[in-house]
Amino acid sequence: MGLWLTYLRRTPLLIFLLGYTVLTGGPFVWVASMSLRTTAEIFADPYALPTRPHWGKFAEAWMGSNYSTYFRNSTIVVASAVALVTVIGAMTAHCLARYQFRTRRLLRFVILAGLVLPPQMLILSLFQIMLDYHLYDTLPGLALVYVATQLAMTVYLLEGFFAQIPQDLFDAARMDGYSDFEIFWRITLPIGVPAIFTTVVLNFVTLWNEFLYAVVLMTDDDERTLPLGIMHFMGSHQLDVGMLATGLMIAIIPIVLIYALFSETMIRGMSAGAIR
Amino acid sequence: MAVVAIDGLSKQYGGAGDFAVRDVTLTVADGEFVVLLGPSGCGKSTVLRMIAGLEPISAGSIAIDGRVVNQVPAKDRDIAMVFQSYALYPHMTVYNNLAFGLRRRGVARAEIDQRVRRVADMLGLGSYIERRPHALSGGQRQRVALGRAIVRAPKVFLFDEPLSNLDAALRVSTRNELIRQQHALATTTIYVTHDQVEAMTMGDRICIMNQGRMVQIGAPLEVYHAPADTFVARFLGNPPMNLLRARLTSAAEPTLELDGTPFTLTGWSASALAPFVDQPIILGIRPEDLYETPDEVAEGPPRLLDVAVEAVELLGAETLLLLGLTGERQELIARVGRRTDLRPGATTRIALDAGALHLFDPATGKAISRPGAEPHKRES
Repeated sequence: MGLWLTYLRRTPLLIFLLGYTVLTGGPFVWVASMSLRTTAEIFADPYALPTRPHWGKFAEAWMGSNYSTYFRNSTIVVASAVALVTVIGAMTAHCLARYQFRTRRLLRFVILAGLVLPPQMLILSLFQIMLDYHLYDTLPGLALVYVATQLAMTVYLLEGFFAQIPQDLFDAARMDGYSDFEIFWRITLPIGVPAIFTTVVLNFVTLWNEFLYAVVLMTDDDERTLPLGIMHFMGSHQLDVGMLATGLMIAIIPIVLIYALFSETMIRGMSAGAIR
Repeated sequence: MAVVAIDGLSKQYGGAGDFAVRDVTLTVADGEFVVLLGPSGCGKSTVLRMIAGLEPISAGSIAIDGRVVNQVPAKDRDIAMVFQSYALYPHMTVYNNLAFGLRRRGVARAEIDQRVRRVADMLGLGSYIERRPHALSGGQRQRVALGRAIVRAPKVFLFDEPLSNLDAALRVSTRNELIRQQHALATTTIYVTHDQVEAMTMGDRICIMNQGRMVQIGAPLEVYHAPADTFVARFLGNPPMNLLRARLTSAAEPTLELDGTPFTLTGWSASALAPFVDQPIILGIRPEDLYETPDEVAEGPPRLLDVAVEAVELLGAETLLLLGLTGERQELIARVGRRTDLRPGATTRIALDAGALHLFDPATGKAISRPGAEPHKRES
């Protein structure tokens, strides 16, 4: 009796979760199945499962449509931007969380203001700046823009976590003879690993999918990132749905892998307070 | 091994406003164990942090072995500190926690290993050496924190309420362990606590602080038996010293009047008491210097006081009586034997040990000294 009641109570939650899964997982499964079918097959029956999977489409997309270049560009831009924003963000967050100095509040306000400014507002002036510094249409330029856009969120997340590390640990390390930078390197960073992981994953996913800045700041086909490449597919191939789905899958795979590998660590970081 | 000389030490946060610490002067001899005792917020931890180099000094100086260290960074003072929270590095094993400070100082790897293992064995941590702090009990963490200080063999140990996170039983055993280690190492030690039992049992001298100032310093029993003012009188001792409003009627043959009863005082000189004649005065007496029957008073003729028993706390080994004076509304606590028959509502005549009385100036709270008093003569 009691067991039935427990099940009954859980039913609404189960229904909600089921609906949510179908809503989010459904399109993914659909695209995945389309990526293995030809455009002709898809037009014949859009919702059917692949009867004879065309794995060769992946190789075709990779070789024939400049996809390898897009993938390489995305990897270079996103990896360097994430690495840079993590290092700068962690150092900034450490200073804001740990030191009292005169301009601390102002500095924090200026950095965190980046959270509320919509990119559309910045994009024209950014375009001009990039031109002036000869960074327009270059991979390092885009990476720098990405660092700037993600810095606010990174500092915000990390500062919250770092501020919870007890001050006594830093005092103890000072008594043990360590300098300020060594304390950051040997105490803050290792203890902050879960939070740092969280920002790495969030930044990676956000930047891997980033479209607006890329479409404005990159025009040369050889410099395009994956999201632009996918759009390119639509134009040049007159909406080749089958190839588009294959391209999407190639773009999605790294993100799926990252989530699969690091979701646990990330959740731990987000529900912080992990210091005992 | 070091002498720590503190001279006129003061601390003002933000360089202005109230003093957190004001004009503290104290010299800790080589190998001595000095306890800074006081209520929370009295500035004792701030003094410790200034000695450690974790807090800038607003005024005054701190010298270690004659060298003023005001501007010397914490890492170069050769001081080790044990924190209340232990402050163990959570991402390192016990071994690495102990070795962390030695590595920075460029000690050879083999020597680090030898010293870490020796200290770990000494503190009974040998089998936990590869564990991380979260896998240790509170007492074990405390010992790691202690070991981290010991392994560096510093000139001075600083302790900031190291026992306050332990449960009662563990606190007693760790306290004894600490005393033993300090005696064995004979390192100059400054220990901060708000626990008077720790202060009384551990320190060679205790230094009592209140509102940022040093109120009294001396050997534990000396401070206990001759408190400098009413704050110290109430702060040391549990239950605290009874402070009663009385009136000095004569200085030549020192007599005071308490609750309508005249008391002759012994030991005070007429000149010390002269300013207080016909003035109110505060009479202090510790609960253990009150007796149920006059025969229990060891020295001199007892003074008797009529009281009503308001409450009785049977503690097993002893009994605490909450008493009210029959005339004026004043309360006092007496610590008597466990076999008392007194019950609430009873009236009785309680005996005071005249040799154990204290007098305080009601205006300043300062003790009126009794030149002949010899605090160590009495047993306690």
